[in-house]
Amino acid sequence: MKPFQYATALSPAGARELAGDDGAYLAGGNDLLALMKESIVEPKVLVNIKSLPGLNKIEPGRKVWVFGAGVTVAELEDHEGVKKIFPGLQQAAAEVGSRQIRNVATLGGNLAQHSRCWYYRHRDILCLKRGGDTCYARHGENKYHSLFTGNTCISPVVSNLSVALTALEATVLVQRGDEQKRMALKELYARAWDNPTAHNSLEPGDLILAVEIPVRGTSSAYLQASEKSAFDWALVSCAAAGRIENAKITRARIVLGAVSPVPYEVAAANDSLEGKSLDAETAARAADLVLARAHAQAHNGYKIPIARALIQRSLLQLKAQS
Amino acid sequence: MPSWPEKRIYIGSHTRRIDAPAKVTGAAKYASDVQPEGWLYGMILRSKWAKAKITKINLDKALKVPGIKAAVLAREGERTVRYYGEELAAVAGATKQACLDALRAIEVEAAELPFVVREAEAMGDSAPRVWEDSPNAAPPHVNEKGDVDKAFAECATVVEGSFSTPVQIHHPLETHGNTVSWAADGITCWASTQGITSVAEGLADNLSVPQSQIRVLSEFMGGGFGSKFGPGVEGGLAARLSQQAKAPVKLMLTRFDQSLAVGNRPSSFQKIRLGATADGVLHAFDLESYGTAGIGAGGSTAGGGGGAGFPAPYIYQVPNIRVKQSSVAVNAGSARAFRAPGHPPASFGMESIMDELAVKLGMDPVELRLKNDPSEIRQKEYRLAAERFGWKEKYKTPGSSPGPVKTGVGCAGATWGGGGRGTQAEAQINPDGSIEIRCGTQDLGTGTKTLIALIGADLLGLKPEQILVRIGDTRFPPSGGSGGSTTAASVSPAIHNVCTRALQELQKQTGVAGARRENWMAACKKLGINPLVVHGEWQEGLSSSGAGGVQFAEVGVDTDTGFVKVRKITCVQDGGLIVSQLTAESQVNGGILMGIGYALYEERIMDLQTGFVLNPNFETYKLAGLADAPDIDLVLLDMPERGVIGIGEPVTIPTAGAIANAVANAIGVRVGSLPITPQKVLAALGMDTLTTA
Repeated sequence: MKPFQYATALSPAGARELAGDDGAYLAGGNDLLALMKESIVEPKVLVNIKSLPGLNKIEPGRKVWVFGAGVTVAELEDHEGVKKIFPGLQQAAAEVGSRQIRNVATLGGNLAQHSRCWYYRHRDILCLKRGGDTCYARHGENKYHSLFTGNTCISPVVSNLSVALTALEATVLVQRGDEQKRMALKELYARAWDNPTAHNSLEPGDLILAVEIPVRGTSSAYLQASEKSAFDWALVSCAAAGRIENAKITRARIVLGAVSPVPYEVAAANDSLEGKSLDAETAARAADLVLARAHAQAHNGYKIPIARALIQRSLLQLKAQS
Repeated sequence: MPSWPEKRIYIGSHTRRIDAPAKVTGAAKYASDVQPEGWLYGMILRSKWAKAKITKINLDKALKVPGIKAAVLAREGERTVRYYGEELAAVAGATKQACLDALRAIEVEAAELPFVVREAEAMGDSAPRVWEDSPNAAPPHVNEKGDVDKAFAECATVVEGSFSTPVQIHHPLETHGNTVSWAADGITCWASTQGITSVAEGLADNLSVPQSQIRVLSEFMGGGFGSKFGPGVEGGLAARLSQQAKAPVKLMLTRFDQSLAVGNRPSSFQKIRLGATADGVLHAFDLESYGTAGIGAGGSTAGGGGGAGFPAPYIYQVPNIRVKQSSVAVNAGSARAFRAPGHPPASFGMESIMDELAVKLGMDPVELRLKNDPSEIRQKEYRLAAERFGWKEKYKTPGSSPGPVKTGVGCAGATWGGGGRGTQAEAQINPDGSIEIRCGTQDLGTGTKTLIALIGADLLGLKPEQILVRIGDTRFPPSGGSGGSTTAASVSPAIHNVCTRALQELQKQTGVAGARRENWMAACKKLGINPLVVHGEWQEGLSSSGAGGVQFAEVGVDTDTGFVKVRKITCVQDGGLIVSQLTAESQVNGGILMGIGYALYEERIMDLQTGFVLNPNFETYKLAGLADAPDIDLVLLDMPERGVIGIGEPVTIPTAGAIANAVANAIGVRVGSLPITPQKVLAALGMDTLTTA
């Protein structure tokens, strides 16, 4: 680990200024510390953002809920209102790491975390994502890797919350330069789709301040499949959301995680459900559409049936909620 | 012949560990905790190549890093490194950061050489050689009995199958390492070890120092599972750094280091054919296997064992057998003895093919075992376990459970030798009534200290907390390494002996007959000024060897996602006289959890392109956690007439075989490869290549 300076920011603009172009923001620090220990990132300054006003608040609203980026994952997991209004988000939070990790991990940090690809994280491997010239996973051990990508890197997004928030049509408030900018979740990850070195669309110095979720009376659900019972990454995760009235769904969203560098969704699949009643047949049809372009690597074809099962199960959970 | 007391108050009781308060409050000092005055951090530079010729290592720049006090080479001169992670050099400094900076400043000139990290590939004629002067695949060990080909022709039913087990890493929670102080009056080594004596011997040899100059201490240590018998390369380096720096050096490995260079369980690839008569009597057995122990089993701290062979046909007697086993070298860290070396892979392969045979014969798997298992104790255990588990109600035709989450059950058996002898001990009784028992053993975490206190308490008529137990010091009477489940059987008789003698001597010297219990204080007072010190040693008749054990598993398998959940394990285990019920139960629980890890999660993953270990951490080298723990129903058959027998190893042997059989019973097809991951379950179900069309 290289020496670094440490500063505490009291306002978003101040944080941005302190961070400069070579800084990093410190909230929970889970991912940051690991990246620094392996010399994957070497920030010159760590800007403590834990004192930014409002950063750790959950503000319920009739039309929109606002979650400060410093809200911990445990707070999302435990919040009774979240459980009731956005059950998919609560379920996604509950599956993050271990309770000890959730106690300090933050919403913003979960969204901005780097790839977990074991080549990217290896101290002695310089892979494509780290600026090297080879995606080792393509020709190597890729059982945890993507089924869909727009570039050569096949490491997937692993943020549970990004998957649930995409399904809930959330927006992220980002401090960029002197301005505060709103980005849809899709936009937050778009760059990772075709740029192998990107984990998301944030630029150096960008700071996530809050996440806003519109209240649309939708049901939502999140499921993940892992190798272990708990404290494990998702092999595949799936969030579903939609408004169910008179047993018919409208504005359906199905989003997969851990299978693509972005939270993955297919408009045709969402559209296929519009006005339909959720049953095994409509769910299977939607799953087909989501997975139509899946491209399995040598060792990750098994993710396809898992994704199919999770899509069907999460849609049926929506039905059960209504 | 000595015997255990008929009336036992503490022996066999559920008394808590005597060192529990020290452990939970952090008062217990492990090798990783000790901080002798002026100590320095030590760190190792490791090979970044799977194979390379090292022509030069320059330590000059490392020595100039602020805070660095010493730097040494692991070996002088030109050399070839044969795996990623092999030790090259080490530094000692005042801070971790200084050491990290110094490691980066070391200049290494190396020429990369071709390498091979996969067993099957390594066996090919054109594969790069791990050792230049010998082929990677050693000539097979062959064991033949009877006329196998003829016997197969005589069988009514023959089954065959292929099975594989991964390289498993020991990963004790306290990593390998030592704190070493090399001063004018000798070398003191605080070691995280299973064998203080073998550490002393190893250091003396490595450093060419008389063993009398070396003291090894290990009062508490955080597990070893067979991988911590000697000082290791890291111990020798710590000593030399200490000598150069003239300060104590603490060199504990990181979890990353731990994944590369300090032992593992060899892999196995087994092809088995098994034949039986129409009524299910085993008649012919044929096994061909290979596996890797890395660059070779052993290394300086192998602790014996650790090769790629294993017992076959394991616990069964078959009149006609042919066994061909070979070991294949690859460019990866050496294997070391690992909790019941050879047995878990042996049990997994054999018990899997036994269930295949049962299915083909249309016979209940438990019945097939009762028919062919020669051990009377295990037969009794199968009956008892089947009853408790509800086997008759739970066992259904393979694959017949309704989905998508299917239920299945399976069972497997184990054997282990154990034994153990040779321990010496001394007791010091003070005139104030306090008593200290000293023994040069060490406590792996299994509860050895508690065991000593419980025996002492019953023999002397005291309470366990009245007995001060001191272990883990080479200045105490020697015991031996803690491996092979021998510690309890080696230590217990010596404690029996020293306590018996101490009591006799106390009574003789003081004239107090019956100095136990309420007479204890009065007798001790009569000792005058000098304490009474008595020596004792291991005696025949108080311990023995040979433990069986069976386990039954119930699993749920999600046939849509491939996820396996172990719901219940029933374990019936014999272990002679149970000295400490609580810690014996802990051993069983730990063995089962480790077996679950072996069955479902653990695997060292080598990258073909770089030759690196890809999962050198607990994020992707997955260990069973609390949420993965099943309901464990456990019966320890208390057989006091057999004396003390260790059970640390047998309890981890049959778990994976039982789980694999339960998975096969649930889904109706067999996953023959450990760990049984969702990927492999779905592949077995023919779903892994499903596309959406």
